[in-house]
Amino acid sequence: MDIQLKRGLLDICVLAAIKNKASYGYKIIKDMKPYIELSESTLYTILKRLETANMLTVHTAEHGGRLRKYYHITPKGLERIDFFKNEWKEIMSIYRFITKEDVADE
Amino acid sequence: MNKQEFLAQLGKGLLGLPQEDLVERIAFYSEMIDDRMEEGLSESEAVSEIGPVNSVVAQILADTPPTKLVKKQIEPPRALKAWEIVLIVLGSPIWISLLITFIAIIIAAYIAVWSVIVTLWSIEGSFVACSLGGILSGILFACNGNALTAVAIISIGLVCAGLSIFMLYICKTATKGAFMLTKAPMLWAKKHLIKRGA
Repeated sequence: MDIQLKRGLLDICVLAAIKNKASYGYKIIKDMKPYIELSESTLYTILKRLETANMLTVHTAEHGGRLRKYYHITPKGLERIDFFKNEWKEIMSIYRFITKEDVADE
Repeated sequence: MNKQEFLAQLGKGLLGLPQEDLVERIAFYSEMIDDRMEEGLSESEAVSEIGPVNSVVAQILADTPPTKLVKKQIEPPRALKAWEIVLIVLGSPIWISLLITFIAIIIAAYIAVWSVIVTLWSIEGSFVACSLGGILSGILFACNGNALTAVAIISIGLVCAGLSIFMLYICKTATKGAFMLTKAPMLWAKKHLIKRGA
């Protein structure tokens, strides 16, 4: 997939991974793996960016004798997902336009 | 490679980052390795899944805005070494609880010392009250013509007054001592900080 396109989608995917329930780093990567690959350092950068944009909050909790960071989505993060869904409708109409051209050419 | 080696090399590679970023990155990768091991991977498998240290370092540095790297150059040279940060991160469950215990002990010691002071002052207060009460009630008895009782009570009052003067001296000395005791660790900490800063 195109790098620019992937970059835009990854933010939404990370938000989607914590949408229903707070999650932690490794679980986010694991949950996304069947759909889209992302490395630890990319995830770190995305989490930082989303935190700065107030789309998620971070809470540290004790787990099995060590500390683990949990990421919680905020109302703003949920809004971002909804916004993306609407955007996608536009993209789909563009997609239809593109594929229609293909047919006309043949 | 085991986890500690990985984190130490990572820390070494990221020394150009501001310290708080470095600590956070190491904690992040430490958590990632721990979570993989919890899934049943061995330590070396978990580390190798993260990828070679060099490429992890390269990607992190590529993601870091140059302003951060430049800012780091301007910062004062005293910084924790990579292995110190690894130890702090790995040992955090232990040292946090130790630190809390240590603070609790110091607070308990202060409470103990100051409760002795409070006790001494309340004894002093009761001596003063006894002497005032004794002399006043002695005068009342005297007015009623009960001379023998009056003399006895007034003399008890005077004894209390004497004791209260003696006690006042003890109280003052003890309070001074307690203040010194409270100040001493503060002074020590301040001196230590100044030495470090110089």
